[in-house]
Amino acid sequence: MKKLLCLTLALALALTLLAGCSSASSSTPAQSTPADSTPAQSAPAADDTPADEPVTMKWAVWDIDATAYYQPLLDAYQEVAPNVTIEMVDLGSTDYQTVLATQLSGGADDLDIITVKDIPGYANLVNLGMLEPLNDYSTTDTSLYGGTVEQITVDGKYYALPFRSDFWVVFYNKALFDAANVDYPTNDMTLDEYDELARQMTSGSGAEKVYGCHYHTWRSAVQLFGILDGKNTIVDGEYEFLKPYYERILAQQKDGICMDYATLKTSSTHYSGVFYNNQVAMMNMGSWFIATQIEKVKAGESLATEWGIVKYPHPDGVPAGTTLGTITTLAINSKSSNKQAAADFINFVCGEEGQKVVSSTGTIPAIKTSETMAAIANLDGFPQDENSKEALNVVQTYLEMPLHEKSADIETELNNAHDNIMTENVTLEQGLSDMTDGVQSVLNS
Amino acid sequence: MNQTAPAKPKKGLLSKQARETLIAYSFIAPNFIGFAVFTLIPVVYAFVLAFMQWDGVNEMKFVWFENFARLISDKNFIQAFWHTIAYVLCNVPLTIVCSLALALLLNSKIFGRNFFRTVSFFPYVASLVAVAAVWNFLFNPSMGPVNQILAALGVENLPKWAAGKDTAMLTVILFSVWKNMGYYMVIFLAGLQGVNPELYEAASLDGANKWQQFRNVTLPQISPTTFFVTIMVVISSFKVYNEVYMITQGGPGTSTLVLVYQIYNEAFVGTPEYGYASAISMVLFLMVLIVTLIQFRGEKKYS
Amino acid sequence: MAGAKKDSVIGKIIIYLILFVVAFTMLVPFAWMLSASVKLNKDVFTFPMQWIPSDPQWANYATIWQKIPLGTFTFNTFKLTIIVTLLQLFTSSFAAYAFAKLHFKGRDALFLGYIGTIAVPWQAYMVPQFMMMRSFHLNNTHLAIICLQAFSAFGVFLMRQFYEGIPDELCEAARIDGLSEYGIWWRIMLPLSKPAMSTLIIFTFVTTWNDFLGPLIYLTDIKLKTIQLGLRMFITQYSSDYNLIMAASVVSLIPVLIVFLSLQKYFVQGVATSGLKG
Repeated sequence: MKKLLCLTLALALALTLLAGCSSASSSTPAQSTPADSTPAQSAPAADDTPADEPVTMKWAVWDIDATAYYQPLLDAYQEVAPNVTIEMVDLGSTDYQTVLATQLSGGADDLDIITVKDIPGYANLVNLGMLEPLNDYSTTDTSLYGGTVEQITVDGKYYALPFRSDFWVVFYNKALFDAANVDYPTNDMTLDEYDELARQMTSGSGAEKVYGCHYHTWRSAVQLFGILDGKNTIVDGEYEFLKPYYERILAQQKDGICMDYATLKTSSTHYSGVFYNNQVAMMNMGSWFIATQIEKVKAGESLATEWGIVKYPHPDGVPAGTTLGTITTLAINSKSSNKQAAADFINFVCGEEGQKVVSSTGTIPAIKTSETMAAIANLDGFPQDENSKEALNVVQTYLEMPLHEKSADIETELNNAHDNIMTENVTLEQGLSDMTDGVQSVLNS
Repeated sequence: MNQTAPAKPKKGLLSKQARETLIAYSFIAPNFIGFAVFTLIPVVYAFVLAFMQWDGVNEMKFVWFENFARLISDKNFIQAFWHTIAYVLCNVPLTIVCSLALALLLNSKIFGRNFFRTVSFFPYVASLVAVAAVWNFLFNPSMGPVNQILAALGVENLPKWAAGKDTAMLTVILFSVWKNMGYYMVIFLAGLQGVNPELYEAASLDGANKWQQFRNVTLPQISPTTFFVTIMVVISSFKVYNEVYMITQGGPGTSTLVLVYQIYNEAFVGTPEYGYASAISMVLFLMVLIVTLIQFRGEKKYS
Repeated sequence: MAGAKKDSVIGKIIIYLILFVVAFTMLVPFAWMLSASVKLNKDVFTFPMQWIPSDPQWANYATIWQKIPLGTFTFNTFKLTIIVTLLQLFTSSFAAYAFAKLHFKGRDALFLGYIGTIAVPWQAYMVPQFMMMRSFHLNNTHLAIICLQAFSAFGVFLMRQFYEGIPDELCEAARIDGLSEYGIWWRIMLPLSKPAMSTLIIFTFVTTWNDFLGPLIYLTDIKLKTIQLGLRMFITQYSSDYNLIMAASVVSLIPVLIVFLSLQKYFVQGVATSGLKG
């Protein structure tokens, strides 16, 4: 009997919880049309100097200690808005999405400003209605962001502003090229030229082996070549166009021009280690690696002390300087009670002043002016040749993962198929048709 | 607490049975209250969620059995289901046999017993990154020692282990057995301490050999422990996640995708689908429940 | 007779051979941890593996204390682990006594309910649980972790199984002697279940010590974090200091090993039965 009582009690408690939660969420429909209410508040507030009442906000971030720009940004903002206190909440980088989802569950207002790590993460938060549209808050001309804001706009609204924007380049090891007596890669390489160079640079065996090029185990390392011509995107659901690119990389893998995918994957080899240890002549990687490489050369950990960067290789007929990029953005929690204050901060960070602070820390800013890019090129430790400086000028950036309602699920399917192809568990034809089927079933569900 | 339990029954008030029940509940209460509030309620909640559509933020929608209907046609679920079953079928017997054998060995008076006991417990307590790295090193398809030995023995078509579609699950299973053996060994070891040594003396006087002693003395004496270990291994095998995450991340492709891996994906990758994730948990729960009930019957019969 | 002796010698040799092989494979990860902990980060995952680093970086063991507040994390972890272990030990063995030795209505069903919850993966009810805890204002408190860990069904199950192994006659005899049920638990069950309690302490200690997901979700304030979360702080978006992770892991392994070594002496044959004789 007592047991029954206990169980009913438990059940009752559970139901109250359920009711409490659904009532909490039923109060949220307002969030679906938040844009209507905001202009009224934002217009006058924007005119005011925000020096009145003290405001305290929470900002969701990752890697506080390892990230150079958070504190300088907060310090700079402190001077502009002394009444505003911003507390950073470090949710960790590896599990950021999981922890963020938990923290925001039930429509919580604990966090005011949200750093959005990638496009799938952005798509999810938008789908959930967790982000406030920024159209009426933004004070910066969005054309300054090189077309990236347009790429994250949904139905005329954008819910985040980029504050850093990385793109893919080729890192190369000058010492290895010198030793092999081969000319350095250039800022205008077709894929064929790049492939030939990689083959020329491959030498040795065993522990002495030097690989011509290197691809990390991410699917983007291979698939991104395929979308540079702008004819296809990675979320289309048809992947036949990737075939020549996979064929090229698989051939390189077979010929020992690059490290074997299966070995890299099972041994968790990090791309930085192979570059530091002079094991690879060229490496396709994001511009985020620039700051790390500079730092590790100074610390004596990177043995690749003579290095440079050039623009990403491109298919025939595509202009040099076409590359892929990722953006890191800031957004406002739609449940926040400090929306205007949060927007002011975002406008500062993503505006020209904040972008100078970002670039001064060696991070590629989202607004690429000659001034901010010069800050990168003038970093102590940045390669001094003209080509490396020129490599920072991109002509066209496609997002690594374009915005799609189902970005995250598409990503999973792409990764699975990529894994199967690169480990040679399936033939390329089979792998690509699996990819198509998998993504189609996501698109249709 | 001691005062509340009179040594002799007071007249009238309560019947003997009711009093006994009350005492029993007083024993259970400290644990049960905490357990009910912090675990049972959320679990019940998760069961309710299985009939809902919920993204964690917006309003829940009651959808009857829609989530379960979706399972039947979900390619990933079907794969994960069979992978989990295969994992359970191989991992459960292997783990039990290995850990029991190890416990018996380390319960006998052998030289360096404490050393071996401690060492067996190592893979369980050592850092997950370290154990996974070592395992992946041993079984590396191109440079690992295991494949080098196989090559020296003249094996052609060396297995790709964690990177091979057909060998990935095997690699995960071998890894799990090796990693968890020491854990269950400790439980068996504790159980073996309860065996009355006089029973062995009596058995050997009757002329029973080692195997007969094991069959007729050890096994029945440690049956509660075996019951515990079996249920725990079954449950943790159905719930396998860490081992897969560390060795293959569900790959290559989806060849080691298991149920909890999928639950995690549904709940945290892409738009959260807590309802659907809960429905998969329900399936998992029912499978475990069936196996456990069968074992319970067995235990009742045995004792 | 001589033949039998020879057999047993060969048998012994085989047993030791097996033990050494098993022990060897089990020690390899530890050797790897030690080796990686004194390497430069770039060399941790390189092939071919270098087991003894040519230039050991002992400074790694100093760096870990400077780079993250490992001292605070260690204190927090100790605090949580000790509280959880004590609570778990007390409440589980208390409840297990009722399940094993007392007869009451609904016992089996309740017990099955306990086990049933173990079968539900935490990932499935993590979010509802978090929302509930937040409504109690327990997020970002150590109390949250204590509440989650201290009342596990696992402990009750484990202790119940060991109590089942203790003969009922002992309890009956004690009841006739006029001992209350609480007295039986305290004076007979607890002393007899030392191996089981040692097991439970070891397991609870290890689980709480190494718990990652719980603290990850509940403790976002740096002052409250635990060692396992600290280890993750060496993994950042663009680089992972595996050498430092391993150095910190080696340090954090020490308390676990001390607990194991000091408790395993209770794994002595015939504890329960010697009690029976006395």
